[in-house]
Amino acid sequence: MNDKLSGSVVVIGGGISGMLSALDLANSGYYVYLVEKGPSIGGVMAQLDKTFPTNDCAM
Amino acid sequence: MSQVTDVKGEKGNFQVEILKKPRYIDVDLCVGCGACAEKCPGKFDDGYNADLQKRTAVYVEYPQAVPLKYAINPDVCLKLTKDKCGTCADVCPANAIDYTQTQELITLDAGSIIYSPGFKPFDPSRFDNYQYANFPNVVTSMEFERLLSATGPTMGHVTTLPKLPAKPKKKKDKLLAQKRKDPKKIAWFQCVGSRDVNKCDNAYCSSVCCMYAVKEAMIAKEHAGGDLDCSIFFMDMRTPGKEFEKYYQNAKDKHGINFIRSRVHSVTEDGDTHDLNIRYVDEMGQIVDDTYDMIVLSIGLEISEETKAMADKLGIDLTPSGFAKTDSFEPVSTTRDGIYVAGVFNNPKDIPESVLDASAAASAAGDALSSARDTMTKAVEKIKEINVVGERPRIGAFICDCGSNIKGVVDCEAVTEYAKTLPYVEFADEAMYACSQDAQAKMVEFIKEKKLNRIVLAACTPKTHEPLFQETLANAGLNKYLFEMTNIRNHNSWVHKNNPEIATQKAKDLLRMAVAKAALSEPLKEEKINVNDTVMVVGGGLAGMTSAKSLAAQGYSVHIVEKKDQLGGEAHKLFKTAQGEDVGEKLNHLIEQVKASKNITVHCNTTLESADGFVGNFKSILKTNDDESTLEYGIAVLATGAKGSVPDEYEYGNDDRIITSLDLDKMFKENDPKLDDLKSVVFIQCVGSRQPDRPYCSRVCCTHSVDNAIELKKRNPDHDVFIIYRDIRTYGERELLYKKARELGVIFIRYDVDKKPVVSIVDGKLMIRLTDHVLNQPIEIQADLLTLASAIVPRRDERLANFFKVPLNDEGFFVEKHAKLGPAEFATAGVYVCGSGHYPKPVNEAVTQGRAAASRALTLLAKKDSLYTSGIIAMVDPNQCSECGVCVSICPYCAPSFATGGRFEGKAEVNAVLCKGCGLCVASCRSGALHLKGFDTNQIFSQIFALGEVV
Amino acid sequence: MAEKEIKIVSFLCNWCSYGAADLAGVSRLEYPADIRVVRIPCSGRMSPKFILSAFREGADAVWVSG
Repeated sequence: MNDKLSGSVVVIGGGISGMLSALDLANSGYYVYLVEKGPSIGGVMAQLDKTFPTNDCAM
Repeated sequence: MSQVTDVKGEKGNFQVEILKKPRYIDVDLCVGCGACAEKCPGKFDDGYNADLQKRTAVYVEYPQAVPLKYAINPDVCLKLTKDKCGTCADVCPANAIDYTQTQELITLDAGSIIYSPGFKPFDPSRFDNYQYANFPNVVTSMEFERLLSATGPTMGHVTTLPKLPAKPKKKKDKLLAQKRKDPKKIAWFQCVGSRDVNKCDNAYCSSVCCMYAVKEAMIAKEHAGGDLDCSIFFMDMRTPGKEFEKYYQNAKDKHGINFIRSRVHSVTEDGDTHDLNIRYVDEMGQIVDDTYDMIVLSIGLEISEETKAMADKLGIDLTPSGFAKTDSFEPVSTTRDGIYVAGVFNNPKDIPESVLDASAAASAAGDALSSARDTMTKAVEKIKEINVVGERPRIGAFICDCGSNIKGVVDCEAVTEYAKTLPYVEFADEAMYACSQDAQAKMVEFIKEKKLNRIVLAACTPKTHEPLFQETLANAGLNKYLFEMTNIRNHNSWVHKNNPEIATQKAKDLLRMAVAKAALSEPLKEEKINVNDTVMVVGGGLAGMTSAKSLAAQGYSVHIVEKKDQLGGEAHKLFKTAQGEDVGEKLNHLIEQVKASKNITVHCNTTLESADGFVGNFKSILKTNDDESTLEYGIAVLATGAKGSVPDEYEYGNDDRIITSLDLDKMFKENDPKLDDLKSVVFIQCVGSRQPDRPYCSRVCCTHSVDNAIELKKRNPDHDVFIIYRDIRTYGERELLYKKARELGVIFIRYDVDKKPVVSIVDGKLMIRLTDHVLNQPIEIQADLLTLASAIVPRRDERLANFFKVPLNDEGFFVEKHAKLGPAEFATAGVYVCGSGHYPKPVNEAVTQGRAAASRALTLLAKKDSLYTSGIIAMVDPNQCSECGVCVSICPYCAPSFATGGRFEGKAEVNAVLCKGCGLCVASCRSGALHLKGFDTNQIFSQIFALGEVV
Repeated sequence: MAEKEIKIVSFLCNWCSYGAADLAGVSRLEYPADIRVVRIPCSGRMSPKFILSAFREGADAVWVSG
């Protein structure tokens, strides 16, 4: 198996978890395919107004 | 616009089949201008705004969407459904509309797969007692979130009847809309679609709703001004996260939000006003009737059927509640080798935990492929830079039309002509889309042909487009800091579209300012950072070892510094995890793996005596017994953990029947025969937590006691087991343990912090007295064993915090870089945090954070040979420096320091690696010795002066 | 628009207010055109000298936002 180990990762879901997984992997030297069913990434977090407990803007 | 349809293969070598759905927009051509949506007649529900309003068939999800490219919904587009219309293609200035696109099936090779599908907000329509489907003033928390948002349908102004369109067209809606008002009383109902097996099958706790309800109530009050009455109806307030308990107490004490412990029985509506009448039983057992203007249902998080079907396709096991099944010691690995999970699908969780999951999944996915790292990625080629220092500025000014986005308002031709009259401008040109491939190729040609050495671009926002043009400059051999961009779209044509003359004048002003600044710009150097790729982990507990193991697997040399004589830390004292795994067995296995790794050096009985340096270049003295040694390393991971506190109340220490949770674990581990003689066992929760001297919640104790109570009941069902608590905080699927404990007959009795139970020893009998909250009567329990769920306290290692210049909070926990987005790292570059030193956490969360810290560290280590500072940094002119030290004390990143040797000893100097380029020191310097490259004082003055010039 | 045109010099932090001004554009909000933006890397970069010089150059108001 090891002789044809692939250096790429498929990340399914472009919400906050998927995006950050993809970023970490890409910045660590792996090729990443981020698969998202909607037209843009961001997921539910982009819909939130503020975040607890700091009341920072979620966007 | 893609979905996975099939996965074949195995770990290291998967084939993932993906269905790419048509967008009907060519993303390479679309500039996101929105001309199409302005004219589109098709409408459908705007999911981004929780369906509170409609959007057009050609749409972007929201203005900040990434990519900012439109898409067409084929189900409602008139062209695609009925072959009528076609307006968008007519109006699109970029010819990006393509109705002929079709779906395509592609197959990707991948070594690992990360599945992070997220959740579906629970749909309360089927609950008839809250009448969400029928009453217009009953809304979900997701809808309320959009109502509060400045980008939402009401721009943050909360009104009643929010589900009506803003400008209703139907007669019935118009009449209803007249009854719209600013609400004076809003109620939140907790646990809608969570902790409930009667009306839905979601027995688990959704973990986030208590906190978001408190947040929504606070923000609603803030928006409405003082007189909004907010009440939250709850069963247990679950605020067990970092800084959460204080937030909750503040909401109660400072913001005047009412917290009512009750599950509301029913809601009825006043048919005329649409006000909502509710009936509930309060804590004293009295029936209360009350009226509210609005009710917000705090809906839980649910895994969709679609996700479950996908999980089935991926071949991964789920828990009975539908979440991914994982192991506490490998919390992001699914039951199928090579597939990892992150986010809510891996148990209900909030944002920082999802972020930790994300990094942890990246670390696990990467560890599996470490030998193939860097095989698929490519390095970028560099073009030699032309030296322009000392040359007279030769500015090239480019004016972008952005199709009609700018040109439709601003007279771009006039601005281009005007540019040619400005000082140092050698050349000016207008481009239809400056960001298009051909326009950039032309820009490179012009730079070479006209020997331009500064470029000014008047176009859109540098926040999205500056890097692109900087790259273009680099391709032409110019230093990327010789570029200046001014925003004549977002700040001008888009916001002054009815005043083309004034907008044109403003564009000229902005351009003149940019040219003045560009004339003074200098090529800036990005310093290369040398990274020593050795890692030091402080603390050899679960989190620290996990971090070390992952980094070692990626081929880096790791040193673990452990104060005690063995690895494993506090986890040695634990019996089982919440999922029932034997901690001792798994911990020993991890210790063996760490010891066996050739990349890990373990230093037991060792303390850290010093730490100097900065990211990539740290140096410490380690003291092992009495021997000192020096360690040089590039990255530090602080995993110093926490410990159980020693209670100072409830007669602890006066009787050996009074023990702590960890003592009880020890009895279980040793299978103490005394356990069999017990008839009555009492647990007291929140011992030393959630009270004024230690305001935080220790997070783990509720689950720990519930778990231990179950263990006692399993050993002997005839034991009487009592848990005396304030709020049971078994978040996520831990709630199932709470349910099980109740089913097994564990008795839960609540107390208030101002009426704590009283423990006494009378005639050798251990007695616990308290007031029962249901009966409101004093009760007395005789116990054979009293377990105190004592607080988890941090080590408050101020010396260590000072070594690395990282902050501790009031309670002594480390403060991470960002509460939401940087939970495993510090603001100090190159220093990471994991484990209970950050906040008390159970096994699975400590392992997740350990992996996350490793993943974050890896992103830095991976750039070993290509890590550069920004060019925009502060610089000291030592001849001007008066050695006052203001910059040294004011910098949040500790970048300036006094030179310790050389010609300018005693003068300030700035460490380019640490400097973030904020300019705080520059503004504070009383001698004018500090300069911020790229935003120097003379450059900002030049912009101000340029503005003052009479045109 | 018959009123006298006023001049407001605004210093906007790159990370928040400048982005907010971008967003106002994306959302197609309209506001008077009297503002001229100077982008700064952080409101910490502001020096009182910038404010004074803006007034000296004839600004009617100075707005620092970050």
